[in-house]
Amino acid sequence: MSKGMLIDLTKCMGCRGCQVACKQWNDLPAEKTSYNQEFTNPQNRSAYTWTLVEFHTTTYEEKTLSTFTKTQCLHCEHPACESVCIAGAIKKQENGAVTIDADKCIGCRYCQVACPFHVPKYQYDKLFPKMQKCTMCFDRISSGMKPACAATCPQGAILFGDREELLKTAKARIAKNKTKYLDHIYGEHEVGGTAVMYLSGVPLNLTALNPNVADEAVPNFTWKAMKQLPFLLGAVGVASVGLLAYSKRRTDIEADQRKEDGR
Amino acid sequence: MAGLAASFGRGAMTNHWIDYKNADVVIAIGANPAENHPMAMRWIDRAREERGAKLIVIDPKFNRTAAMADIYVPIRPGTDIALLGGILNYALSNDKYFKEYVAAYTNASFLVDPGVKFDDVNGLFSGAAESTDGQVKYDTKSWQFQKDADGKYKLDAKLEDPLCVLQLMKKHYARYTPKMVSDTCGMTEADFQKVAETFCATGKADKAGMILYAMGITQSTHGSQNVRAIAILQLLMGNIGIPGGGVNAQRGESNVQGSTDMALLYNNLPGYMPYPTAAAHPTLAKYNESTPKAGYWTNRPKFMASMLKSWWGAAATKANDFCYEWLPKLDARDHTHMSIFEAMGQGEVKGLFAWGQNVAVGGPNQNKAREALAKLEYLVAVDLFETETAGFWNRPGVNPADIKTEVFLLPAAASFEKQGTVANSGRWIQWRWKAVEPLGESKDDLWIADRLFKAIKKEYAAGGVMADPILKLNWSYGDDEPSAEKVAMEINGTTVADGKLVPGFASLKDDGTTACGCWIFSGYYQDADKPACKNRTKDEPGGLGSNLNWSFAWPANRRIVYNRCAADPAGKPWDPQRPLIAWDGEKWVNKDVPDFGWKNADGSMIKPETSAANPFIMNAEAKGLLWNASSLKDGPLPEHYEPVESLFANKFSKRQFNPAITISGKGDFGQRAEFGDKNYPYVCTTYRLTEHWQSGIMTRNTPWLGEMMPDMFVELSESLAAKLGVANGDRVTVSTVRGEVTAPAMVSARMKAIKVHGKETDVVGMPWHWGYKGMFTGDSANLLTPHFGDANTNIPEFKAFVCNVKRAEGTGPVRR
Repeated sequence: MSKGMLIDLTKCMGCRGCQVACKQWNDLPAEKTSYNQEFTNPQNRSAYTWTLVEFHTTTYEEKTLSTFTKTQCLHCEHPACESVCIAGAIKKQENGAVTIDADKCIGCRYCQVACPFHVPKYQYDKLFPKMQKCTMCFDRISSGMKPACAATCPQGAILFGDREELLKTAKARIAKNKTKYLDHIYGEHEVGGTAVMYLSGVPLNLTALNPNVADEAVPNFTWKAMKQLPFLLGAVGVASVGLLAYSKRRTDIEADQRKEDGR
Repeated sequence: MAGLAASFGRGAMTNHWIDYKNADVVIAIGANPAENHPMAMRWIDRAREERGAKLIVIDPKFNRTAAMADIYVPIRPGTDIALLGGILNYALSNDKYFKEYVAAYTNASFLVDPGVKFDDVNGLFSGAAESTDGQVKYDTKSWQFQKDADGKYKLDAKLEDPLCVLQLMKKHYARYTPKMVSDTCGMTEADFQKVAETFCATGKADKAGMILYAMGITQSTHGSQNVRAIAILQLLMGNIGIPGGGVNAQRGESNVQGSTDMALLYNNLPGYMPYPTAAAHPTLAKYNESTPKAGYWTNRPKFMASMLKSWWGAAATKANDFCYEWLPKLDARDHTHMSIFEAMGQGEVKGLFAWGQNVAVGGPNQNKAREALAKLEYLVAVDLFETETAGFWNRPGVNPADIKTEVFLLPAAASFEKQGTVANSGRWIQWRWKAVEPLGESKDDLWIADRLFKAIKKEYAAGGVMADPILKLNWSYGDDEPSAEKVAMEINGTTVADGKLVPGFASLKDDGTTACGCWIFSGYYQDADKPACKNRTKDEPGGLGSNLNWSFAWPANRRIVYNRCAADPAGKPWDPQRPLIAWDGEKWVNKDVPDFGWKNADGSMIKPETSAANPFIMNAEAKGLLWNASSLKDGPLPEHYEPVESLFANKFSKRQFNPAITISGKGDFGQRAEFGDKNYPYVCTTYRLTEHWQSGIMTRNTPWLGEMMPDMFVELSESLAAKLGVANGDRVTVSTVRGEVTAPAMVSARMKAIKVHGKETDVVGMPWHWGYKGMFTGDSANLLTPHFGDANTNIPEFKAFVCNVKRAEGTGPVRR
């Protein structure tokens, strides 16, 4: 059965246990961060921060409103990243996880560009960089365990299970409490369906979710481009050199930036 | 804690964490469970999901709990009694209280001495004697209950006599009108009304309302009375002793409950026996004379004798009063945290063990406190990392050569590197097993204490002043490595003759035949092979969640204390859906361990009428105390006073702040902004965040946590920021008469200006987790906080004081 996660944003209280549990299980280092007005930190997901709770405080219906949105790879049913991966490193696994095989990844970053959710991230600081992202804790779920984030959530805001069952749960929750929930399961149809889905109590533009994605699966149109692949492949060598130079420059700039910040 | 004991008889959470799921309405006031007790939210969420429960959050800041709330209402720091008094007034004047319950289980009907009076002009209860410095000491004679010739309390069952407690309360709180309350607290009348109506809807047999509090309530110059106000409201609503009800004190650390159970507080012996004083209790007989004359505390001599017997073993005999003489006695001075530091500042303290406590961040008025540490001859810090306390001698701005104090840092094992018990807020004593070996040379606390004592004993073996109490102390936890199990058995108690573990405190005797380290824990380690504190069997889902076979709750494994009140006087559960205890006509059917006499020694049942007369077994009055006649220094009923530092005159009376508190000002620790000082125009408060813990010494040394919350900040409203010309991230300096803090301004919608007595008032907030050691540094908020505290407990007023805020140079974090 294809697994998935249902994140009920009405239950999330922004404790960020998931963010730490992810780093702990996946052995990801802490990044250098600095004071931020919204509590979100690090500022963005990266090769070393695969899941990030994004905080957003605003005034809504004349009241203060804080939303906490756990973001990570949505593990699309039809992943754009997989469809564009020229190295064949990315795979939608039978259990629903979308994984990147680091041995095959050449760090071309096509997946980064293709992903409608900006998920795959590049190891800017590595000599031989790979793409990195949430694996739905592929190692854990393959052994019958829950992903680290779902296992640690004190609120049970992150449910892990069969995608079909989670959809039923989501629908039941909406039916039971129409005033509490939006009548929308984010990820049920978006980009052709995702394994990670969300329930929200407030309009999605008040959360960190992108409401402006189409329901059509991305590979349907990426494939049109990818048919050009044989011609493109010749260009890959050239492009790779260019990308390496670009990424080196970017890493240097970031390092300088950190120095200036006194970090 | 003082407020809880003064209302119900025990200083602990009445219910337990899992019981939160049984509530219909939950108020979090001065508590922020989503950030500081995240697991609590799971059970609140369960109540909301399964019962449609409502969560009301009352806090100066729109915190993460507020983000989850059904009703959020801002409040000006330090005005909780005004709000709670307003709710009491609403309940009393609109007949919204649970009459049958109040009549049966509280002291509402008790008649008070005819001399009782509250002077509402001067804000003083009868019996006040004012000293020249303005401090008031009360003679509590006129607060006492009337008794008849047989020594029985005089009652008015109709609750109509003007001297009965209910009528005195009605009169007292009639002054707490919605307008007065909302003006004082900085909330709208509509918000006040919404809170009062929603919560008072639980004043019925089939509804349960729960109040959660934490340091926002206790860290005040009227903290004990804040708790009292909550306790009184819960008694009026009939919410004590029932599932989903209670006054639930959420402790700030995993084992604070356990440490106070074990007499962490200087004026307690283990199990909340009062500590003897040299003046009043020179002998055991004198000490025992102070035993309460009624209630379960009449058994105190048994607990005392058993404790002394466990301490001095064979040397303790009936003939020598079980070595009572060897027990050090208290002098007349206060020995709470602040008093210790004031004495230290005067050079009166030679040495300090800061054991798992980072006093150079956690205590108030840090500029003075850190200076005081330099007056010590030696300082021993026992901790996981180099704390600010351990490193006070090389802190920024100090020349180490000027500090003469010798400092030792002993590396301690973390909680998962050692074994032993932790008592949680709900009184559950849970055994924890060691998961990993301690890192490097770090040692568990028991090992350190054991080595320390053995070394001291060795020194005394060569002779010394009063050597016997040391040399003859019963210290038998192992010759080499001390055993936590042996300590646990000593605490549980044994019969001396055969060394058998006792089943509970009912077995303890005052004749020296039993030994017991802490009577309230008795029973938690009765079976050495399978002690109750190691039990790990959960209840089947769907029940009330008592989980009687998961760990052990003191006392006697009772999960909801005062649970006789869960049923009516005839023993019928108030709410048939939540039958905690029930009399079926012949016997008691219990889903909790009864906190009342229910069964005789021969197994025959005690009828409900008997226990109905004695629902609060620890209280001499046997009832829940709406009116407390003597155990608090600042009044039989809570009365609103302003925080010591306040922008506003007290509108309830002429008395500005709690008249019974002590502001010693010894060594100028007690600096305060005088009322009306224009230099400090803003209200200031401090708080904690999910990502850090207490003084931050563990979390600021954990990269993943520091990554999420790297820097100290000052949180202020958009309106104040505009007034100051400060943009988000700009540095600001917050100052009080005691010090300054510089940090980036967090301009946020979470903080809003409030309207107090018609005036727009800005509240500034900041977390207090930072210091100058560890991986993530910044200014400590406690450089600002005042060195005076509650009249009964002397807990500092960390939560409400006045400050100024100015734009500082630069933007971004300030690291130290």
